[in-house]
Amino acid sequence: MEYQHRLTILDHYIRQLPPFPATVDKVMEICSETNTSPMDLTKVISLDPVLTGKIMQLVNSAYFGLPREIISPVRAVIMLGMNTVKNLVLGATVLNTFGARQNFRALNMDLFWEHSLGVGVIAKLIAKKRNINNKLLEGYFIAGLLHDIGKIPLNSKFSNEYMNIIDVPEKEPQPLFISEKKFLGIDHTHVGNLIAKKWKLGKEISDTITYHHAPETYQGLQHDILFTVILSDYYANNAGIGFSGNRYMEDLCPEATHYLGDSEELSFKDIDAFNSEVEQEIEKAQIFLKVVG
Amino acid sequence: MKLRLWGVRGSIACPGPKTVEFGGNTPCLELRFGEKNRLIIIDAGTGIHPLGNRLVWEDIQDGPISTEIFITHTHWDHIIGFPFFRPIYIPGTKLKVYGPITFEDDSLEKVIGDLLRYRYFPVLHGELTANIKYFQLGECKMDLGDGITLKTKYLNHPLLCLGYRFEFNGKILCTAYDTEPFRNIFSTGENAVNIDHITRAEGEEAAREENEKLLNFYRDADILIHDCQYTKEEYFSSKIGWGHSFFEHAIDSALAANVKKVVLFHHDPLRTDRELIELEKYCIEHMNSRSDLEIVVAKEGMEIEL
Repeated sequence: MEYQHRLTILDHYIRQLPPFPATVDKVMEICSETNTSPMDLTKVISLDPVLTGKIMQLVNSAYFGLPREIISPVRAVIMLGMNTVKNLVLGATVLNTFGARQNFRALNMDLFWEHSLGVGVIAKLIAKKRNINNKLLEGYFIAGLLHDIGKIPLNSKFSNEYMNIIDVPEKEPQPLFISEKKFLGIDHTHVGNLIAKKWKLGKEISDTITYHHAPETYQGLQHDILFTVILSDYYANNAGIGFSGNRYMEDLCPEATHYLGDSEELSFKDIDAFNSEVEQEIEKAQIFLKVVG
Repeated sequence: MKLRLWGVRGSIACPGPKTVEFGGNTPCLELRFGEKNRLIIIDAGTGIHPLGNRLVWEDIQDGPISTEIFITHTHWDHIIGFPFFRPIYIPGTKLKVYGPITFEDDSLEKVIGDLLRYRYFPVLHGELTANIKYFQLGECKMDLGDGITLKTKYLNHPLLCLGYRFEFNGKILCTAYDTEPFRNIFSTGENAVNIDHITRAEGEEAAREENEKLLNFYRDADILIHDCQYTKEEYFSSKIGWGHSFFEHAIDSALAANVKKVVLFHHDPLRTDRELIELEKYCIEHMNSRSDLEIVVAKEGMEIEL
């Protein structure tokens, strides 16, 4: 299939990227309650990369005219009120459904979700450990949660090819993004960039999505978030937190290790210690969404 | 800039012997600008009915009516007078209606225009002879021409609701209704035990910042027309989250934002003339810590020149 043709298919799909089925049920449940708790509402948003991205897109859209910044679900609820955010969530959810779970043929949906959430949680824990301003922590979580968002369209639209691509390392050891590029002509960071542009995500998030496999080429200013997510991704892969199709991890880029690992506040031992906290977070989320683990 | 209050009551119109002095009509403000006497209307509560009559009796002699109505939000008390605004039945009238609406819900034209359906009213919106255009508004800055600029800001109400800040000839008029103080809804209530400290802190920070943004929005206003539906006691005993302020909050905001005159507005329909007189006296004597802040309780028919 031609590259241009693939791009058209992806572009069309990205326009209507649906949230995860596990979240959809919970969204419907929460939004149909008359007395929804704000915590439940923000939690259901934060647990779904697609919903989180879409809510950020909507809150930052010209419709509201708000100054553009990372507006976490918590902030959105306080600024715009429960009713408005509920409406945004329903709007983002009802427009399209994910379809059946079999759409996630190559990647296991639950494991992919676990990986995304895990990277988000670790990124936030690292940032916390490094005494990053509380106000910015949510940005680290969101960047981690969304870093692999580009895999969703590839997995859904080219699922047969994607199954083969995920299996490539059995014959030839190479990271997933290289195989994607080789066999599809486009990798998930590129697709993620298309999504970030469509959703008009801020630099912190969109640069992380776009450069998390190419930090050495990165010229922008968001090193802190980018390197944190790279480190979190590396850790999540090694610790087997979920699975996002990457059977062969590239080495951790030295820039990221230097940038983060040399700091006094953080050592790799610390990250190991996050393990039980991450597991707990994921388990809590699974119970909340009633995902069968 | 001149201001005339045609309706100062919140929730529902409440004519009767106990509201004769302060009036029973729901919100409608008439603003007049400069030598051209340009007209801008804020809200179409029942107060727009007598305003419309005045326009038809007086203004129309100078030519067809051309004006803008800025709706703060589409709750009934702020739009219900629209079908009774006589200029909409007069050919040649040009009307632009602006206001916020719920995302991906009906358009502003439908939300307001649906008041004119046979089930509610004998005339259909489509039968109106005036030229009416509708525009959805979010937070923005607008140049309205004739040296008038407008800034809008979301307030804190259960429905998207905008405050309006008009600047003209160095004078500033600001509206802040319907609204209540932003608060951290992630710190209280039965679910508080499930809230982690980061979320709670983030909620705290967000609420503080939003309140700060509101003060900046009112900053240095010559007139701030502020929601004061409740007393402090009423607010804290059972009205938190209803989207309305209390007297003390309105005055504290005016003090903090260096406002020159605060007009306490959007009275509860149960508030009697006698209570309002007493409240006004109490506010002036006990709540005003700055000698140059003027405090008045809004009264129907009140005119203020800036």
